[in-house]
Amino acid sequence: MLEIKDLHVKVEDKDILKGINLTVHPGELHAIMGRNGSGKSTLANAIVGRDSYEITSGDILYNGTSIVAESPEERALAGIFMSFQYPVVIPGINNTYFLKAALNAKRKYQGKTELDAVEFLKLIREKLAAVEMDEKFLHRAVNDGFSGGEKKRNEILQMVTLEPALAILDETDSGLDIDALKIVAAGINNYRRDDRAIVIITHYQRILKYLEADYVHVLINGKIAKTGGENLAEQLEDKGYSWLDN
Amino acid sequence: MHYLEKELNELIQFWDEEPEALRTLRSGAFKQYKEVGLPNRKWEGWQFTDFSALEKTSYRLASPGDPPPVPETLPTIANCNRILIINGHFQENLSVLPDKVTVQTLQHAYATNPEIFNKAVVNNSNPFHNLNTALMNSGLAIIVGDNAVIDNPIHILYYTTGLTEPIMNHPLFLIVAGADSETTIIEHYAGSTNVQYWQNVVTNIKLSNNAVLNHVRIQEEDLNGNHIADTAYTLEKDAQLNAFHFASGSSLYRQNIQVNLASSGASSTVNGLCLAKDRQHLDQQIIINHLKENCSSNQLFKYILSDNSAGVFNGRVIVSEGAQKTDAQQTIRNLLLTDKAMAHSSPQLEIYADDVKCSHGSTTGQLDKNAIFYMRSRGIDVRTAQLLLISGFAKEVMETITNTNIDTYIDEKLTTWLEHIGVTL
Repeated sequence: MLEIKDLHVKVEDKDILKGINLTVHPGELHAIMGRNGSGKSTLANAIVGRDSYEITSGDILYNGTSIVAESPEERALAGIFMSFQYPVVIPGINNTYFLKAALNAKRKYQGKTELDAVEFLKLIREKLAAVEMDEKFLHRAVNDGFSGGEKKRNEILQMVTLEPALAILDETDSGLDIDALKIVAAGINNYRRDDRAIVIITHYQRILKYLEADYVHVLINGKIAKTGGENLAEQLEDKGYSWLDN
Repeated sequence: MHYLEKELNELIQFWDEEPEALRTLRSGAFKQYKEVGLPNRKWEGWQFTDFSALEKTSYRLASPGDPPPVPETLPTIANCNRILIINGHFQENLSVLPDKVTVQTLQHAYATNPEIFNKAVVNNSNPFHNLNTALMNSGLAIIVGDNAVIDNPIHILYYTTGLTEPIMNHPLFLIVAGADSETTIIEHYAGSTNVQYWQNVVTNIKLSNNAVLNHVRIQEEDLNGNHIADTAYTLEKDAQLNAFHFASGSSLYRQNIQVNLASSGASSTVNGLCLAKDRQHLDQQIIINHLKENCSSNQLFKYILSDNSAGVFNGRVIVSEGAQKTDAQQTIRNLLLTDKAMAHSSPQLEIYADDVKCSHGSTTGQLDKNAIFYMRSRGIDVRTAQLLLISGFAKEVMETITNTNIDTYIDEKLTTWLEHIGVTL
């Protein structure tokens, strides 16, 4: 589904990613761990096509096709989703309106009819229940006045509504208390399916206790330094990252 | 500005039935105007606007002899009482007036209500105001009775269309909201013509004790129009003003707004939204006079500036000595959509009392690139994301319009406006 080949990325003239290779198949859950500044968020942003992230060499293939020349919206419509580390506040735009615009853009792309307000409300109520969010969030401006945990749940709400095939979750667990963490983890687990893949980027092992990661990758200084199973995350929890340096 | 004097003389000759006192008022005001002329860039409070366009064309006063063409379709706002004025002429037979509201022509108002009239037209430091007094040829007095609660808004539509030569109008509106009354008044200027025109409006609004007035001013003149306005509100004890000023029309727009909180317990909210494109120049100055204690004032003005347009906002809050417990807030937000659009804004506070709560702030920015990317990452295309963000910026101030029919009308204007603008930042 996702194939990253020797990817080098620059941000503001600084080399951040220095040759990433990663293959993700449908049904898999990959965790990418690493210290601050190791390039985790850069990898996520490069996959979704943020324009300040310059790919200097290498390639990103999605379902066998290179996507590096595609716009962020083209990648989104094709089924790639990123949950933001810092979800953006959009004053004046109602959350319902935003979600409906996004969902209908996707439905239009897929050749389906767009949902009207009533149909959308019916659908969104089901999705809200899945992330245990109150309906009042729909009536507020996007992320405006949301707590850290509410913003992250709103990201998961967007994911379950837009139903991407590939979800990149950038530090979705950071800033969450234990209850919110469990809700978010349950949302991710329920989302898993044989035809969907999830890449979760995290600092900490704690969310991985609630998820079954197929692979854990450790990113150090712009390269994947080690790949293992869930036990690698446990080792990192015990020993930190320094034993992998050099 | 030779044509102005000629027009004044013709007007005085034509309206030979006017009382001598009114003629004296006209000549006196014109003299005042002539002493200073039109504002120039050296004048404090006028430095960002060039009025020379008004001198380049000779405008003829719209006269009672003009047959007013009534267009088949006119801007409509649902569920309103309507007062229709076409090219300066009051269309009484096409107007629907509510009970408990008296509508008078200016001559009639002058004869029966000289006190209101004279208070409104006192000599003023604003030359356009004096010019209006000298040349007033249009307008109405609207008096809402004490205790009257008017459910549906009174929609004054001032429409300019079908011109064959450049005309000007100098309308004067005198509005009195009676004690304990509740009213919504929409003062609406619109036009559709290929010929230049000039409106020079004075609106004087008095809110009596405990009156509640929603005043919505919509300025969507044709781009061939120049719109100059002087709007003054005076609030008596415990009166409450909710004003909204929407402007998207005319190539040259300047409005002076003055709010006088003249008695204790009065509160005013004056908000606004300006949409500018092409080479439009939209300039507003607002002065809030806190004259007595326990009054509050709120302002939120937003400008959205595209193409080569310019937006000017000059806001002053003056808290007089003795106006203790004043609560005054002023916020100005400019959104620039192109690198050629310009915004000038200056919020000012002058405080002569010590127990007050005042704040002011002004920001000028562009569309938030992070927000655009956020939307794109959800599959929304760039143009749609930009338009969503712009309308979100506008909605924050439009939410303060309490009447849903008016909100719907302005929302439709915003949507249409957005379809035709350029965004390059």
